Amino acid sequence: MAGDAWRRFSRNLSAMMGLTVVALFYLVAIFAPWLVTADYTAIDLDNVESGPALEHYFGTDELGRDVYSRVIWSARSAAFVSIFVPAFSLSLGLFFGVLAGYYGGWVDTLVMRLSDILFAFPGLLFVFFIAATIKPAVSLWVKELGFTEFAKQGYVDYVVVFTALALVGWPGLARLIRGQFLSLKNREFVMAAQAIGVSEWRIAVRHILPNAMTPVIVAVSGGIGGTIAAEASLSFLGIGLQPPNPSWGQMISDYYGYWRHATLWPLLFIPSLILVAVILAFTFIGDGLHEALNPQSS
Amino acid sequence: MSDNNKAETLMKIKDLKMYFPITQGIIIQKHVGDIKAVDGLSFDIQRGETLGLVGESGCGKSTTGRAILQLYKPTAGSVIFEGEDITTIRGESLRKMRRRMQMIFQDPYASLNPRMTVGNIVAEPLEVHKIGGNAKERREKVKDLLNVVGLNPYFINRYPHEFSGGQRQRIGVARALALNPDFIVCDEPISALDVSIQAQVINLLEDLQQEFGLTYLFIAHDLSVVRHISDRIAVMYLGKIVELTDRYTLYANPLHPYTQALLSAVPIPDPVADAKRQRVILEGDVPSPANPPKGCNFCTRCPKAFDPCFETEPEFKEHEPGHWAACHLYQA
Amino acid sequence: MARLLDVKGLQTQFFTQDGVVKAVNDISYTLDEGETLGIVGESGCGKSVGVMSLIRLIPSPPGKVVAGEVIFNGQDLLKLKDNEIRSIRGNKIGMIFQDPMTSLNPVLTIGRQISEALELHLGMDKSRSRKRTIELLELVGIPMAADRVDDYPHQFSGGMRQRVMIAMGLSCNPQLLIADEPTTALDVTIQAQIVDLVKKLRDELGMAIIWITHDLGVVAGLADRMVVMYAGMIVEEAPVKELYGNPRHPYTLGLLGSLPRLDEVRDEKLESIEGLPPDLIALPQGCPFYARCKYRIDKCETENPSLHSVGVGHGVACWIDIDKDPITTENPWTEV
Repeated sequence: MAGDAWRRFSRNLSAMMGLTVVALFYLVAIFAPWLVTADYTAIDLDNVESGPALEHYFGTDELGRDVYSRVIWSARSAAFVSIFVPAFSLSLGLFFGVLAGYYGGWVDTLVMRLSDILFAFPGLLFVFFIAATIKPAVSLWVKELGFTEFAKQGYVDYVVVFTALALVGWPGLARLIRGQFLSLKNREFVMAAQAIGVSEWRIAVRHILPNAMTPVIVAVSGGIGGTIAAEASLSFLGIGLQPPNPSWGQMISDYYGYWRHATLWPLLFIPSLILVAVILAFTFIGDGLHEALNPQSS
Repeated sequence: MSDNNKAETLMKIKDLKMYFPITQGIIIQKHVGDIKAVDGLSFDIQRGETLGLVGESGCGKSTTGRAILQLYKPTAGSVIFEGEDITTIRGESLRKMRRRMQMIFQDPYASLNPRMTVGNIVAEPLEVHKIGGNAKERREKVKDLLNVVGLNPYFINRYPHEFSGGQRQRIGVARALALNPDFIVCDEPISALDVSIQAQVINLLEDLQQEFGLTYLFIAHDLSVVRHISDRIAVMYLGKIVELTDRYTLYANPLHPYTQALLSAVPIPDPVADAKRQRVILEGDVPSPANPPKGCNFCTRCPKAFDPCFETEPEFKEHEPGHWAACHLYQA
Repeated sequence: MARLLDVKGLQTQFFTQDGVVKAVNDISYTLDEGETLGIVGESGCGKSVGVMSLIRLIPSPPGKVVAGEVIFNGQDLLKLKDNEIRSIRGNKIGMIFQDPMTSLNPVLTIGRQISEALELHLGMDKSRSRKRTIELLELVGIPMAADRVDDYPHQFSGGMRQRVMIAMGLSCNPQLLIADEPTTALDVTIQAQIVDLVKKLRDELGMAIIWITHDLGVVAGLADRMVVMYAGMIVEEAPVKELYGNPRHPYTLGLLGSLPRLDEVRDEKLESIEGLPPDLIALPQGCPFYARCKYRIDKCETENPSLHSVGVGHGVACWIDIDKDPITTENPWTEV
């Protein structure tokens, strides 16, 4: 089965290109410390706003920071986002979706109304709200607890931003999983399992869940691009990852003044291009998976 | 096929009813009526026999099979299996009881989990009931079962979609046999298959019945198939059994006008015999089971209906030994 | 009777990712005016594709008629321009399909769907086409047709919807009615109603019919002549009584033997045909039935027999004579 899907996926040119870009992206994120040429936080006021050169591949910004190294480190931030946020929202979505879909009744009503409420907020606005109001409070609270170093390193940023994005993501997944459960629950193979005497719990886990996962995998993989874009938007607006943590969104925000600058335009264009390429790559993979896993629909 | 001299009742179904509620309202669900899918069935199943249950779509025959196996909780009535009313047992003891009663499903595509290998599908009943020894012994048992149903055990690691419809139905049969049941409900096991494959599965079911002494409730819409495989046949119409008798009497001396119409509507693959037949063409369609007619359920289409048919429901009773029917024509 | 349709060497293939599916392989048959031809075979034998190819209703791509001629009233339908074939479909050639549920547009009234063809092909105005539509609905036995003409498909039962489909198929007085398993989705008592209706209409209107089915029972009382298909080929062709009374191809014989008959109880087993039809992407070199045939000889494995005459109007594509030659292999099928 997996073999068939892979065969169809590997025949899909855009999906394979997406996979290549994503593989490169994670390799860069993993090997970032060895790829950088300078400390991404190092300020060199003697050498500000220089264009791309051998010494600084992508040039330096108004603080003299090496833009190449910042781009590389930003891949790490994006990679964290691309792994933790989907994992977090998938866990929440699975938990609530299975609960609602399998047990139905008032549990279902409760979970669905909760997700309705979250749906009613425009997603990013909700994240802005958390980033703007809760994050400073959490930061302060963590410092008061004595984890000053932890807060200073910007880890609180990561945790809060990831949580906010995951909270926006789970209701959609929960609904998808619930819908799958509802339709699969009435399939004959589930009744066949009941007829054999398979327990409820085992039916949910062994019979329904594996069959429910195909569209979930597609939705999660296709959604990663959107998650990275959301993080970039937040950072662009200054409420996402805070300096010194680098992020492509932040760099676009910092450098957008250079967009018509004769020599410094690459400072804006390189992170923008990379961001777009990575987002597109994830979308292509999502589409490719969709076609590979649902051969009859294409 | 059973012999007539042994008549041990394996299962006794008494006044079985299966209603599905119709509700209205989004937040507060109001009960506004019932779909009377199965509406008061009483019959016995003898050990070792094949009882055919025949009727058109929506007559409640599949629901009957599922209600007997407690896959649906019957609304009323009892299903007495070896002296015990299985409609009253729950939970773990019901799960244990399922070892004795199995089911073969209509759709060989929908009834096998597409994410499990054939080996795992057939081994699952052994696993959940903790029989058949350790994993390795179970795997041997699964291979034996595949052999029994005429599949190459070499295919044990393949997935259902790699098989044809007939082969999948064999997998379904192997799964039903794994627990050595006494009783199997065959719910339209061949209607999704091609003609030449249907005969393969019918022959297999007959062989297995002889080999393992199985009792079948064989549900189908095709009267020719039912007549071929069954010892006795029950004809259903709109949630009720209208006639029940042995397969010879049903064809030679059908009492109920619906049985007569059904017999005459079944095509015969022989132009000479077909030309000689008297056809009873029924007018109109089956009424909705949510709103059955007053009196006899068949009165809206019956060519022989007379006054009492529109007033009172005919009693299902024995007119000759072993020949039951529910019709006012014979109620004198 | 004059010749209405002459199909010669028709070949239809589907070009898929997995390979070329040879759905219809060089089939030829004829149909006279007013004649009813039954085409039987199991799923995937090419019976539907073969007939849909005639009126160019094969989804393309991936499907393509790669060879053959279809002479209808002296014209080769395969050579017509798209607008010319459209003026024949629904007009000179009417069609009814298996599923009356999906073949009717749910958002248009029944009357609208029938009168569309009348206005398009016969140039009727609104009031005349409406009058004709009501007549047609009466013809196919819809009670209170004048009231029901403005109803939507979901307000009709399955049997009634199939009657509406028949009214549509007959709306322009076709010379040929193509019926693709029109009773498969229906219950047996409703099927009897529909078959009865089609027979009555045929006798009144005199159109020719091609009735495609997998059920040897349904067509027995309806067809004049029968064609049996297997793996995209015609394996036997005969007048209806001849085919049922004197089948000459081992596959036809097997099909008849595997059907339980209502009018007799056989205590012996059904004669099943073991195994499966061949993969249409990789057809064997010889006879397509070789792997399942009890009568096979060595020649069958390497050479595919073509249809040859064994009686008046009776053709069979088989190297052996099942009346004389012995069974050579009791269990021909081996699992692969």
